[in-house]
Amino acid sequence: MEFAPSAGVSLGIELELQLVRPHDLDLARDASDLLARLEKRRLPGAVKPEITESMIELNSSVHERADTLARELDEMRRAVVEEAGVLNVRISGGGAHPFHDWTDRRIFPNERFRYVVERYGYLAKQFTVFGQHIHVGCQSGDDAVYLVHMLTRYVPHFIALSAASPYYQGEDTSFQSSRLTAVNAFPLAGHMPFVQDWAEFAEYFGKMRAFGIVASMKDFYWDIRPKPEYGTVEIRVCDTPLTVERAARLAAYAQALAAWHLAERPRPPARAVYLVNSHNRFEASRYGLRGELVEPYAGVKKRIGDDILETLELVASHARRLGCAEPLAELAAAVRAEDTDAAWLRARHAARGSLADVVRDACTRWENREQLQKQT
Amino acid sequence: MGEYGFLPKLPFDFSQLALFGALLAIGLLAGEAARRYFALPRITGYVLAGAALGPQAFGVLDSNALYDLRLVVDLSIGLAVFELGFRLSFDWLRRNPWLFATAVAESTLCFWAIYGALAWFEFRPLLAATAAAIGTATSPPVVMLVAEDLRAEGQITERMLLFTAVNTVFAYVSLTLLLPFLHLEQAAGWDAALLHPLYVLAGSVAMGYAACRLLLGLAGWLGKRKTGQLLLLVAVVVLTIGAAHSLKLSVPLALVTFGMLARNLDRRHVLLPARLGELGQLFFVLLFVITGASLEFRALGVAAAGVVAAYIALRFLGKAAALLAFGHLSGIRPGGAGLLALALVPMSGLAVVMVRDTVSLYPSFGRELAAVVLSAVVVLELLGPLATQFALRRAGEAHPES
Repeated sequence: MEFAPSAGVSLGIELELQLVRPHDLDLARDASDLLARLEKRRLPGAVKPEITESMIELNSSVHERADTLARELDEMRRAVVEEAGVLNVRISGGGAHPFHDWTDRRIFPNERFRYVVERYGYLAKQFTVFGQHIHVGCQSGDDAVYLVHMLTRYVPHFIALSAASPYYQGEDTSFQSSRLTAVNAFPLAGHMPFVQDWAEFAEYFGKMRAFGIVASMKDFYWDIRPKPEYGTVEIRVCDTPLTVERAARLAAYAQALAAWHLAERPRPPARAVYLVNSHNRFEASRYGLRGELVEPYAGVKKRIGDDILETLELVASHARRLGCAEPLAELAAAVRAEDTDAAWLRARHAARGSLADVVRDACTRWENREQLQKQT
Repeated sequence: MGEYGFLPKLPFDFSQLALFGALLAIGLLAGEAARRYFALPRITGYVLAGAALGPQAFGVLDSNALYDLRLVVDLSIGLAVFELGFRLSFDWLRRNPWLFATAVAESTLCFWAIYGALAWFEFRPLLAATAAAIGTATSPPVVMLVAEDLRAEGQITERMLLFTAVNTVFAYVSLTLLLPFLHLEQAAGWDAALLHPLYVLAGSVAMGYAACRLLLGLAGWLGKRKTGQLLLLVAVVVLTIGAAHSLKLSVPLALVTFGMLARNLDRRHVLLPARLGELGQLFFVLLFVITGASLEFRALGVAAAGVVAAYIALRFLGKAAALLAFGHLSGIRPGGAGLLALALVPMSGLAVVMVRDTVSLYPSFGRELAAVVLSAVVVLELLGPLATQFALRRAGEAHPES
């Protein structure tokens, strides 16, 4: 398996979005109609179907800088909202729909998704959760393997910063991100094995394929995985945030982290990272920024929010070089204020009194309707 | 009084309540049988059960019993059009202006197509126009019940419900606007001719608005408890139906206005999303059994067959032409317009009510009207649900397990 090299620390993201019907604020099933309309528009990135008809996925093009990525995302967001409006469908971010019933979901009719249902049964419909995937470009497969090991330490950061699924199936889960639980159910979820370079990874993959366990990289539902055909490392633990701005900030953070590690190689890969990984991941999903992670290199406990702020200091010089100091400053301010999407959703529920209202407010936030109205 | 005075006297005097229960049970069983043994929509079973019980067959339900049940009919139709209005978002029409244009074209073309057909058969203009106005409306309970039965979701289903709401309003408004001519034809005074439509239109809309304000006010106080809000909703809907009925206003017009305003004037979002769901089903079963019993099979003679066939065909063509011409502008997927036209075929209880109200006003005119419209209803009562079911299945919007 070849790793197709790409420009170092280039960026791209995928965002899975909720299609909501306005009259009862439950999930809609108009993905095919919406995609057909979007096909006729010239868009910078791509819009694709996802496992059920209540979801679509935005794919950005490849960017060197987070600010151009943010602009492109906003352009795509606007197009999607406009076309959805024609179909009486609203669009929302967030990691999970707060009260939809997964048994109502219908599988998007294409070959890949039919296979997933055939293979995973009800897990497929339960997989109607919405994530952001961040791709960071690597110049070689060895860089990619190194970067996966490095970024794994920061998995709790990405979970806590993006957490936007406190409600699931009509209940407050007490988690900040309940979405990851739906991912955990898959047999090939987890993380990459502790391989040292691309050759070793290719050998592992070859074995798995020979066993008949996987057919392609797509079959691994890992938190972070190399994506050899794109020449990237893909971070898959984020909930889709409630705004494209936050989505772009998360991408900027990934870029700065990758730049720091690839340029300075501050740490060697360590098995200890994987010893503490499940614990840290749970802390972040459950408690968000207030969770306590175990720092695997020093072996000490730290509040996740504090660890993020310290890390932002460490990557600051690279952020300036990459032109993403501003989004990172905004991220730091949000961490200090404990301003997370999960907290925002809970606050809306407290203020409004029903989950239907939470969904409506989340749609309005994603659609940025006031801005839309001003322009038209 | 004898020793056994506590026993009931023969023959037993069955109460209205027992009749409700029996009709519901018989309808339910017939619906299930239609589904299970003939793969027909449940509605067809309800209607056939009603027809069998009606005055023209076994006569369990005679015309007196049917008259007593008219409040149930009003209640069922009121609930249906309320729910229909409650789904209609002005916001969607604002974002998709072609949609509203298509809906209006659908109603208008359908009206003129039927009118043309009847004029060709040399019906006098007023009769043709009244029959055309009634024919414009798609039956709200039929499309809602079929959609619910199939658990249908998607663009065709949503548009079917929206267009049904619009053509129902169109039918009622045009019927009301024809009232002056009817009064004049029947040699009533100018004052009655002008005041009657004004009273019905303004009164029904005002009633709908008042009900909406009442509902929003009480819901705001009640808070966001699901059961509480559902009961409140039913209470205000039933109250409005009863009040409109007593004030001789148009129950459907008042209720569809109420539904639309409740959805679109709720700016602070005090209302929770609500569906009448199973409660609505209960009344729909009764409605279709009663409609079945009121079907005028005798009117369906050979002589009338040509007129009825033309009425039905032109009604469908009018709807289809508008949808095919404008549908794609409003964002219907290719091939969807034809299916939507099919889905809008049902004509049912609403038409029966409109005819009934006209009969009560001017019996002789009403009988002429009934001969045309109710014969079409007989046919469409059976074809309509099938057409809707076929269209929604074909559009891929029925739930795979339904």
